[in-house]
Amino acid sequence: MVLVLAIGDLHIPHRAPDLPPKFKSMLVPGKIQHIICTGNLCIKEVHDYFKTLCPDLHITRGEYDEDSRYPENKTLTIGQFKLGTIGQFKLGICHGHQVIPWGDLDSLAMVQRQLDVDILVTGHTHQFKAYKHEGGVVINPGSATGAYSSFTYDVNPSFVLMDIDGLRVVVYVYELIDGEVKVDKIDFKKTATAPSAH
Amino acid sequence: MSKEIVKEEAPSSSPDVSGSFASLRSVRWRISLSILPSSSSVDDLRRVTADSRRRYAGLRRWLLVDPHVPKDGRSKSPDLVMDNPLSQNPDSTWGRFFRNAELEKMVDHDLSRLYLEHGSYFQTPGCQGMLRRILLLWCLRHPEYGYRQGMHELLAPLLYVLHVDVERLSEVRKLHEHHFIDKFDGLSFEENDVTYNFDFKKFLDSMEDEIGSQGNSKKARSLDELDPEIQTIVLLSDAYGAEGELGIVLSEKFTEHDAYCMFEALMSGAHGSVAMADFFSPIPAAESQSGLPPVIEASAALYHLLSIVDSSLHSHLVELGVEPQYFALRWLRVLFGREFSLQDLLVVWDEIFTADNSPLEKDSGNDENSSLKMFNSCRGALITAMAVSMILYVRSSLLATENATTCLQRLLNFPETINLKKLIAKAKPLQILALDSKISPLSSIFDGSYNHSKSAVSGYNLSSHPVSPKTPLSLVPDSYWEEKWRVLHKAEELKQDSLDKLSPSGKKRWSEKVKLVLSRTESDPLPARAEKYKKGHKSSVRRSLLDDLTRQLGLEEEDTEKGGCSDASNLEDRHSTEAQVEGQQNDTNIGSIYRAEERCECGSGTFVSEENSSVFSDPLSSGSGTNDHENDTEKSSIASNLSSDENDDHHQSNPEDSPLPVSSPPPEGVPLNSPHENESSGNLVSAMRERRHLSGRFQWLLRFGRNNVSQEASDKGGGTNETPKSLNCDSKSNTADSSIAGASRSQRDVDQNVMGTLKNLGQSMLEHIQVLESVFQQDRVQVGSVDNLGKSNLVGKGQVTAMTALKELRKISNLLSEM
Repeated sequence: MVLVLAIGDLHIPHRAPDLPPKFKSMLVPGKIQHIICTGNLCIKEVHDYFKTLCPDLHITRGEYDEDSRYPENKTLTIGQFKLGTIGQFKLGICHGHQVIPWGDLDSLAMVQRQLDVDILVTGHTHQFKAYKHEGGVVINPGSATGAYSSFTYDVNPSFVLMDIDGLRVVVYVYELIDGEVKVDKIDFKKTATAPSAH
Repeated sequence: MSKEIVKEEAPSSSPDVSGSFASLRSVRWRISLSILPSSSSVDDLRRVTADSRRRYAGLRRWLLVDPHVPKDGRSKSPDLVMDNPLSQNPDSTWGRFFRNAELEKMVDHDLSRLYLEHGSYFQTPGCQGMLRRILLLWCLRHPEYGYRQGMHELLAPLLYVLHVDVERLSEVRKLHEHHFIDKFDGLSFEENDVTYNFDFKKFLDSMEDEIGSQGNSKKARSLDELDPEIQTIVLLSDAYGAEGELGIVLSEKFTEHDAYCMFEALMSGAHGSVAMADFFSPIPAAESQSGLPPVIEASAALYHLLSIVDSSLHSHLVELGVEPQYFALRWLRVLFGREFSLQDLLVVWDEIFTADNSPLEKDSGNDENSSLKMFNSCRGALITAMAVSMILYVRSSLLATENATTCLQRLLNFPETINLKKLIAKAKPLQILALDSKISPLSSIFDGSYNHSKSAVSGYNLSSHPVSPKTPLSLVPDSYWEEKWRVLHKAEELKQDSLDKLSPSGKKRWSEKVKLVLSRTESDPLPARAEKYKKGHKSSVRRSLLDDLTRQLGLEEEDTEKGGCSDASNLEDRHSTEAQVEGQQNDTNIGSIYRAEERCECGSGTFVSEENSSVFSDPLSSGSGTNDHENDTEKSSIASNLSSDENDDHHQSNPEDSPLPVSSPPPEGVPLNSPHENESSGNLVSAMRERRHLSGRFQWLLRFGRNNVSQEASDKGGGTNETPKSLNCDSKSNTADSSIAGASRSQRDVDQNVMGTLKNLGQSMLEHIQVLESVFQQDRVQVGSVDNLGKSNLVGKGQVTAMTALKELRKISNLLSEM
């Protein structure tokens, strides 16, 4: 049972000073195994903070990130290798500003096929989205600080926690609505055979 | 999950048990650990086995949390805000999951290093998984112990014996297969499933085959022809016996369940005396005499036995500073698991488990110095004896070295090749010795060897102190009840001057205070008190008390000076602050006596203030107030009775007891104000109470000189002639004047002989008796002016008592002045 945190678009310090305190209280070290960050942190301090939560950190470069060494996109496999292919999820990360039109599902699906992943995590739109699309899952964790976005109104701070267990992934969405943390849960199952349609 | 279902204890030597299960160690052990009944009925065994397994399965389901799987009966959509993985809510399933994960990590740490040389069994993932689950569940069930290193080593051999027995079972199965399987079971979908498909021809052929093969294998036709042992095995494993599959006593499927039951029985001691879990706990047991953790106590017991058996070795070890717990900790916690190889260990455990674990009846005379827990059962004694025999085994190498480290090395690396039988044989007589020997008071065991836990040792030394109470704790409840009682008996007044005389080191303020306090109580108690004080003065303890008090008074000076001559509420505050200051000085139990007294006085202080204020208020209401308080005397009398008994012991025997019974008849327990039914019972009790009061007064006296002054001032103000209380006030005010004089006198006596002050005491007592008498005369007149009928009756009664008390006082003062 692997807990993966998907978070991004914090825009610290330019558009937001810090994570909301309620989120910060929930993010404690020791529980999360991997962190996936879509980008736009933007400064090193945020990177270090994530490192304290979990040493296994994967970031892709957003357009405002000050560290230019982050890759444009990244893939990683998560899961136990019990009998070879079972229990393996391939995750792909990409910031999303490269994918035009921004937030368009078909284009993102194209990226997913390109990277050959089961789950694609992108950001940039500052809006939470989770789709099941053509045998894969596209997740947008939104903006963890609720930073301003030029094309999204009323940005609520949100992030996503994925619980990957064998062939099943449970997506917990944490949103800060009106000062209260709301949690939602979505279940995705991957079929045992190669990444095919659900 | 306790073993209540099995109450039968295995007999200490159970030849029938070991006879019938000679080769089945796990069954034997289960019987010895009281998991299985010792009755030889197979059905019983099966039933109990099944029950214990069910319990374990239930426990496992409940405690091993899988957050993905929704619990039965829960709503479809659990509250996600609480139940998400990042939730900080400790109740959430995820929270529990993470806590369990942490525990598991700790357990895994140890398991990965378990029995590496026997890796073929212990390091297999199946076995490790079982061990992990069992330990996890036990720790979750007993959170007060948590997981400690060593528990896994207790568990591993248990699992091993179960495993061995299962293997034995499979061997037997191979040989006698047809007894184990029901031939009809395999016929599920066979074509020829007809019972009486009897083909005679075939039968004859097969008969011939049988005869031919007769020479090779003797196949017993029926169950009865087997060895009884094999027979038992078969019966125990019959899938159709009692409880079906769950009842198969030797079953691979339920190895985990059985191992858990055995482990739990071992750790909890199964209502016996020796519980292994105690050895893992760092806190002293509740009824421990010495206040040390059980494992330290057990190590001490070990050394104690060694000293009886081989004192030269014992003294040698003690000289070198080899404390027993350095090596005994490991020996005891793992029951010698680390000292012997696995097979040897199994033999040792055989012996240990057959020893009965039920607590033995010790003679009641041993109550105070109750024996060490280890010796309280055969099993405990055997464990100790084994340890001692092991020490004796390496005796020569221990004696040869003058170095503590080498000794420890020798003990911690017990020799590999040993004659186990000899070791065990040696342990047997030692066990008997351990059980028989009179265990000397724990103080002698602990004083010499233990310097590390100072509090415990000092606690011990104090307990042997002649004057200090048996346990400091008993003083605390005293003080509470004392307080209540004093509040209640505000009308009783002691003579100020008598207390004044009792303060040899009293400065001016002290004596004044004491006088105040004394005046608040009836004169009845005085005889007893005076005696008490006399005794106190004679004893050397008192002298040290005085030193303490002077010291403390020196500290208190600033406090008292700051107080100022204000209302009685200040008095109360100061009492409490001083009590606190005193409370901080925790050197001796004597200090704690002070504390207790302090609190009493605080209580009485409060009431005094009340009293003063109420003087100006409605006397009736104040009277009713005391009525309520009276009710408390009932309870407090018992408590103070006990306490005064204690004090009596402390201050040695009281030759002048005779005046006491004489003075007790007057029911001084009844204050002047209110009716009460406890007169009869209160007689003796009150006498005792007064004696206690006396010592209390003494301490109080020495501390609150300043407050006394203020008290008197307010008393003088409150001294009206309206109520019976005024009697007290009057006497207070009257005696106050003379008390001041007396105080100055006693002040000079600070550094002088105690006896001189006693003389003064007697003299002033006489004076004040006279004063009081005169006051009584006055009051008789005044009583007539009180309207309340009931009150006047009681006032009359009180006066009578006061008069008789005065007489006693006179006698005492005469005695004192003669000294």
